[in-house]
Amino acid sequence: MSLTHLNQRGEAHMVDVADKRETRREAVASGHVVMRRETLALLSEGGLPKGDVLATARIAGIQAAKRTHELIPLCHALPLSKVAVDFHLDTDNSRVEVTATCRLNGRTGVEMEALTAVSVACLTLYDMCKAVDKEMVIGAIQVDAKRGGKSGDYQRHPDAAAAPIVTGEGAAGQVSVGSRCDIDSPCVRVKFLAELRERLGISDLAVPLDSLPSTDVGSLKSALAKRDTRLSKLTEGRVLCAVNQVMAHDATPITNDDEVAFFPPVTGG
Amino acid sequence: MIRVQQASFDAGEEQRQLLAGRTDIGAVVSFTGLVRDFNESPDVTALTLEHYPGMTEAALGEIVSEAESRWPLQGARVIHRVGRLAPGDPIVLVVVASAHRRAAFEACDFIMDYLKTRAPFWKKEHSITGDYWVAERESDHRDANRWESDNDEIP
Repeated sequence: MSLTHLNQRGEAHMVDVADKRETRREAVASGHVVMRRETLALLSEGGLPKGDVLATARIAGIQAAKRTHELIPLCHALPLSKVAVDFHLDTDNSRVEVTATCRLNGRTGVEMEALTAVSVACLTLYDMCKAVDKEMVIGAIQVDAKRGGKSGDYQRHPDAAAAPIVTGEGAAGQVSVGSRCDIDSPCVRVKFLAELRERLGISDLAVPLDSLPSTDVGSLKSALAKRDTRLSKLTEGRVLCAVNQVMAHDATPITNDDEVAFFPPVTGG
Repeated sequence: MIRVQQASFDAGEEQRQLLAGRTDIGAVVSFTGLVRDFNESPDVTALTLEHYPGMTEAALGEIVSEAESRWPLQGARVIHRVGRLAPGDPIVLVVVASAHRRAAFEACDFIMDYLKTRAPFWKKEHSITGDYWVAERESDHRDANRWESDNDEIP
């Protein structure tokens, strides 16, 4: 294995990609900004002095991806076909997780573009929030996955500690039963199981019933999708649902303290 | 009897227990599912099974009840393991006893088909190239659909 950006004399050079075949390339990178709980709360309520933080950081990330070649000396200028920047407010760890996906049909990988998008989105988050919190820490900027190209697909190995198969305090291979709702505020307990939990990065949620336009599974799904862009995955592909551990569908009514589980198609046996 | 457990099981011992003291049983069919070292990837090194405690036991119970309503069974035992398993390890055991072999064969087949498409278990395979969740198989749904009454006329 050698460094492609150094020539035989050890000098930096730009790799000539003219003879490489065009393939569909995609890269996903992520990072996070750790902040005080109050800052995260202000951010989610839109109470910060500089205005809509996430919308601004998203545009900043997208713009940055397109200008990666101006920042990183040996990067090629790439006609990206897609740049998406997503945020997840992780209240448990008091941080904003930033994910960027870049895609193109071309001759070079797009991980530098994805990393740049994440970096600049994180910097913009810092800039937008620094008036109320100077202690924020930007961290864990990394390539999560890469597809296409000669070197093949790459998927970061989930750290055993960071991505447990077990939710909460259950035993191995099990999911724990979520905490109960507060008696004062009627809510449903939502669980995400197996691959869905890992893709969303969320295992348990409590959703106040009065935040739903109507009290059924379909309405819960759309409320969740609105609350967090990642949860829009609930309405895509095959996602199954059980209410109080009985298979349910969109029209199934839900009531206070119900346990609503979303999961992928089953693969036991 | 239904059990969901992390520990391994001894198919022979389970069958012995099911048959103990019985002389009315004329046929017993036992199926054991094992972890393969190849599946979606050629080099599976381990498998982790997740389930949904509570719903899992209820779903398996319903499947066995459904089998009992379709065939004259004299005993059934389903054990499904969860947690981390290695290639060659047993995952699932279905033992079905009846007076006659046809009912035992068919009920065992039925329980496995329904288990694969209805019981809330999820497999994650660990291979040398990475970890991934196993995708559902269309063939499993076709197998399960064989038992639907609407499909009776299909040969």
